[in-house]
Formats: sequence, C-alpha cells, structure tokens
Amino acid sequence: MSAADGLTRPVERFVQAYASRMAAAVIALVIAFLWVPIAVLVFMSFADGGVLSFPPDQLTLRWYRVFLSNDAALDAIVTTLTISVPATAISVVLSTAIAYAVDRYVFPGRSWLQLLATLPIIVPLVVTGVAMVLFFKGALGLPGYVSVVVAHVVRTIPFATLVILPTLLTFDRGLEEASKDLGADELQTFRQVTLPNIFPGIVAGGLLAFTLSFNEFVFTYFVKGSGDPTLPVYIWNQIRYNVTPEVNVISVVFLVLAVTMVLVAVSLTRVELLARR
Amino acid sequence: MAEASGEGGASDAGARAGDRTAALTSFFRDHPRLRTLAVAGPPYAVLLLFFAIPLLAMLVVSFQTGEIGGPWTLRNYMDFLGSSTYLTVVWKTLVISVQVTFIVAVIGYALAYSIVRFSRRTTLLLLLVILPFWTSYIIRMYAWINILQSDGVLDSTLNMLGLPAVSLLYSDPAVLIGFTYVWLPLAVLPFYASLTNLDGDLIEASKDLGAGPVRTFLSVTLPMTINGVVTGVILVFIPTFGSFITPRLLGGTNNIMIGMVIENQFKSAFNWPFGAAIGMVISVVVVALLVLGTRLGGGLFATGGEEA
Repeated sequence: MSAADGLTRPVERFVQAYASRMAAAVIALVIAFLWVPIAVLVFMSFADGGVLSFPPDQLTLRWYRVFLSNDAALDAIVTTLTISVPATAISVVLSTAIAYAVDRYVFPGRSWLQLLATLPIIVPLVVTGVAMVLFFKGALGLPGYVSVVVAHVVRTIPFATLVILPTLLTFDRGLEEASKDLGADELQTFRQVTLPNIFPGIVAGGLLAFTLSFNEFVFTYFVKGSGDPTLPVYIWNQIRYNVTPEVNVISVVFLVLAVTMVLVAVSLTRVELLARR
Repeated sequence: MAEASGEGGASDAGARAGDRTAALTSFFRDHPRLRTLAVAGPPYAVLLLFFAIPLLAMLVVSFQTGEIGGPWTLRNYMDFLGSSTYLTVVWKTLVISVQVTFIVAVIGYALAYSIVRFSRRTTLLLLLVILPFWTSYIIRMYAWINILQSDGVLDSTLNMLGLPAVSLLYSDPAVLIGFTYVWLPLAVLPFYASLTNLDGDLIEASKDLGAGPVRTFLSVTLPMTINGVVTGVILVFIPTFGSFITPRLLGGTNNIMIGMVIENQFKSAFNWPFGAAIGMVISVVVVALLVLGTRLGGGLFATGGEEA
C-alpha cells in the first residue's frame, strides 16, 4: 500500500498541478476536431479550383452560382421539403399525444408505448430501413412518397417525444388544477392552459424533427424507390459517382440551415435535451 | 368557455358546435378508457404498424428463399453462418466497432469531465459539441473526404510543413476518424449528464481522506458514473455495428462492414430474404448487447420519463 503510494504520489502531484490546464487543452483540441472539418467545408466552397486543390489559388462565388442554376439540386431541395414538412407535422402531433398519454394517463401498455417510442433510436438504421422496405412495398403496397413520409415520421417521433415530454413533466400542474376548479373540462384545459405552456417544447421538438427529417438518409435511401432524390440522397450520389465542388456549396446551405434550427430549438428548451439522436 | 355553453350572443351554428364539443368532452369524461385510447391510440397504431410489425415481417422474410413468399427455409442463415467470408466480415465489423467505441468513450469522457469539473461556460461548450451532430451525416463524411483524400487538406498542410503526405482516405484509420467524428457528440451527453449528477461531497470526502485526484477519479468518480458510461458505449457501438455509410465513403475496398453487405443485398444483389437474415443476425447482436448493458446499469430508457 505504502509502496504503491510512493509510486503514485508523483503522478498525483503532477495531475493536481496541471489538471485545469490539461482540461483546457482537452476542450480546445476536441472542439477543434469537431469544427475544423466544418470550417474546411465552408472555406472550400469558395475555392476556385474546386475540391482537388488546397490551398485554393483564388476565392470565388462561382460554385454558388452553379448551385443556384442547377435544377437537379434545387429539385432535390423541393423534394426534401415535400417530405419533411408533412412528416414533421404528423410527428409533432403524435409525439405530443405520446407525451401527454404517458405523463397523464395510467393504462395497460403504457410502458410498451414508451419502449416503442424509444426503440427507433436504438435499432440500427439499416435494419429498420430494410424492414420498412420489405413491409411497406411487399405487404402494404404503399406508394413511394407515402412510404418515405411514414418512415420519416417513425424516425423523428423518438426525438420529438424526448423533447416534448420533459416540458410536460416540469410545468406547474397547479395551473391545470386551477383551470379545472374554475369549471373547464380536460379538453379546454389542454387547449387553453397546457398547450400554451408546453408550446416552446413542442416548437423545439418540431424544429429538431424537421432538421432530422431534412438530413435523413438511411431510411429514405432504402424506402424510396427510383423517384426524385431527396437532398441527402442527391449528395450521396454526387459523392459516390461524380464529385463536383458544388457539393461543398450544398453542404454549406445544409449546415447553415441545421445550425439555425438547432440554435432556435436550444433557445426554446434546454441544451441537454437535444443530445440524443 | 362561452362557446361550450353557447350563451349570450353566440349564433345558432356556434351554439350547436359548442354543444357538440360539450357532448364530446362529457362523453370522454364518462369513458376514461376511450379518452386514453383517443390520445394514445393513434401513435401506438403508427409505431406498431410502421415500426414493430415491419421488424417482425423481416423475421418472416428471412426464413424464405430466393424471393419473398417463397418456401420456408433455413438456407439464408446457413449460407450466412456457414461462410467464412461473411463471418470474417462480422469479425471485422466487431473489431472496428470496439475500436471506435473505445476511442469515443475515452475522448468523450475526458471532454465531459473537463467541461463539468473545470469550465464555467458549460452551456456554450455543450452547444459547440452538439451542433456538428445535428448536421447531415453524409455531409460530415464528405468534409472528411475533403481533408483526407490524397493531396487533400491534410496532405497539403503536411507538405507545407515539410512533412510527407499520408493519403489516409480509403484506409482503416480514415474509417476510425470518420466514426469518431460522428459519434463523439452522441457519447458526450450521457457522460456529461452522469458527471453533473455526481454528488460533489463524495469527491470532497475522498480528498479529505487523503486520496489524490487520480485515486479519487478511479475509486469514486468513474464507478459512480458507470451508468452514463454504459449508456454512451451502447449508443456508439450499436450504430457503428450497423453502419454502411462511413465504411463505404471513407473505407477502402478491404473495409467491408456487415451493414455494407446488407445494403448490397438490397441495392445490388436484390436478394432481399438473405439481406433480411443478416439484418436479423445484427438485431440479435444488438439485443444481446442491450441486455448486457442494462445488466451493467445503463439507463437507456430512463430518459423517456419516470416510468421504470
């Protein structure tokens, strides 16, 4: 024991003396690791020679102009929106219902509902994607568009629920009691008291669901047939078969959109809630 | 409330709508089970029909041969488990997943610990960690293609410093870097949560009893936060094990992972039952890990609410 102490004491003393500097170094290095690739992407989107020349000879807006006149890329954005917007709306309504039911009601199968709403995060995406394409096409015969929207709803429900549920758990239940004491029924109380109180959480959940759906690749890739590609599928094809510098520009557009959405969501709720994906 | 009672200056139509709402709400008040069903039923139905049942359908299809609806057989599983090629792929996938999980756990824990114990700007730092996580997975991989390709950003920078180029793209290290990059933020959050919940008095007590920072970390902090560690490890291991995007984009031709084999069966070989069988094998591995993780104390479902 004392021999071990003798060996570890210098280490302990070193750590004691330098701990805060080591922590600062870890934070700086890891955050640089996370952000340098994004900075590179943004920088390269202005590079005249495109992806294959670093450092670039000249900076230019050329690739932004190319992007804006590329109908395939713009169509992909429209296609993505026609999926993400309805999927987000459906997902938010269902997630709010899950959160409300799980928080307020006791019923058989309640913990199963919670498990079902969490599992899509945990089952590997490729497995769920494959299962969906088998069932949606093979058994249900759903059209491609409906399949993709449904897949996006399933994908986004866990995240929206994880954000909405805590806002429901934490807001002052006394307000609802007061409303009921004053003669309001449950539906009126929900519409006039509960909903306005949890609305920031619902908006935050919706923004995250939208961000997730807009970026969603694996489910879309499997479930969607040969129709118009969504933006992530379009980028995947570009990267795999013919990389053009324009992909940098599309990436920057993506990044700005995602960062804006998440910042708004964070301003509406706690940062820790956005953790799980 | 005025609309429900339909008094005062409300029009006939408004009054009728109000009566209907009132009738509906009192009906649901008298039938609490139907009320619960009206709220919980739709999401339940959606998740069962479009998530749970497809997974069961995959199980059924995995026992069919050649095409969907073919005769029952174990052939897909025998072909898969009897082939040394596929078993090598599974082994390689396991090795990569363990490596990625270990790297992410060490770096992620060091980061979470540094933020919790030594920083005051926790919200800003957490935001900086999770923001990249909410950007497109494909785009994050593409950023690394820009950096790692031969004569890319990394090589050019090394050249400028007078160092030899490394041309990492399409290699094992590229795959490890890519995975570490995408999963790091995912692991930091459960680590962060468990470290924040740790009672600071325990650390003080350990120090009062004469333990140095390393000893305190090893005998108090790490054991007390093991739940968060297990949760983070599961959250990283499972998606890595099933991944096909990162190895396809950053890995070389030798970097075959099991997710790529599934993708191939569905997108090129069109042998869906065989792909379904491999999907089942992955699911079995994942479920086994989840059970193991729960035994070790990981709280994967704890975030979903107060329900145990």
